[in-house]
Amino acid sequence: MESYGEMVRVSFYQKTAWQSLLILLAALTAGLIFNHLRANGIPLTADWSPEARMVSASGHSLVIPTEEARQAHAAGQALFLDARSQEWFEMGHIQGARNLPPEEIEGLFAQVLGDVPPDRLIVTYCDGEDCDLSYDLALALMERGFTNVRVLINGWTVWREAGLPVEEGRS
Amino acid sequence: MTRFRIIYLLLRLALGGIFIYASLDKILHPAAFAEIIFNYQILPGALINLTAIVLPWLELVIGLLLVFGIFMPGAAALTGLLLTVFWASLLFNLARGLDIDCGCFSTQSAGSASMAWHFIRDSVFLIMGLALFILVLKRDKLSSSKEVA
Repeated sequence: MESYGEMVRVSFYQKTAWQSLLILLAALTAGLIFNHLRANGIPLTADWSPEARMVSASGHSLVIPTEEARQAHAAGQALFLDARSQEWFEMGHIQGARNLPPEEIEGLFAQVLGDVPPDRLIVTYCDGEDCDLSYDLALALMERGFTNVRVLINGWTVWREAGLPVEEGRS
Repeated sequence: MTRFRIIYLLLRLALGGIFIYASLDKILHPAAFAEIIFNYQILPGALINLTAIVLPWLELVIGLLLVFGIFMPGAAALTGLLLTVFWASLLFNLARGLDIDCGCFSTQSAGSASMAWHFIRDSVFLIMGLALFILVLKRDKLSSSKEVA
């Protein structure tokens, strides 16, 4: 009886395996064909790196290299905007930066950016390779007429690791 | 019908319906679904679009097989596997504090619904999926022994 039970189990798992494989193949085929034929299909692979994703509405990259950001900061040419929450901002931020989380832009816009001309260089940043807050903020600023907005990817970490000037507390 | 068979039928129809329903919006909006997969921050960039193209169809095929009771060992195994992957992905992001859109049933932003709620819901689905697979395994054994007898 035991050997028979073993036999049944082996055949069940074999059945499970080949059926699963067939189902996967069917889904793969259907998905690829449908994606190929439809009007709003997507490319099979895409570049999901921050550099490729963080583009303006017209398609040009918003990313600013760290060195360029450093020079602009040293020369006082750029306004740095920290897109993280106030809590994180007060624990430490790029020297001279102002705090503007993108989800609070409605209420804080006039207070934070009321005195800033629209052609001023603005560098937005948050923390982490994949943090999108800085990009969201950059898009929101461009919608509001700012013409010279850039994103410093992983800004807070990059800035600290480069030993560039930081400060704590409110702006 | 035995209680066994009623539970088996209910699990099949419920999970099949859930999978079909979950697949439709994603099939309609592949770009939005790719964005959701990206937000999970788990898959490498090169696999995101392919997953967005194929995964909804896998859900649809599995859902149909479950509803009609065809290819049950394979369909039930993949159901369990997919639900485990979804569950683990949510748990992983819950644990590292990433607040993402679930993207479970819709490619629209979920808004107020919390990660924790999605995780609990997913846990129920996972238990249902595992129960279904165990029932399929038992039925297979029963029918095999009947053939011999």
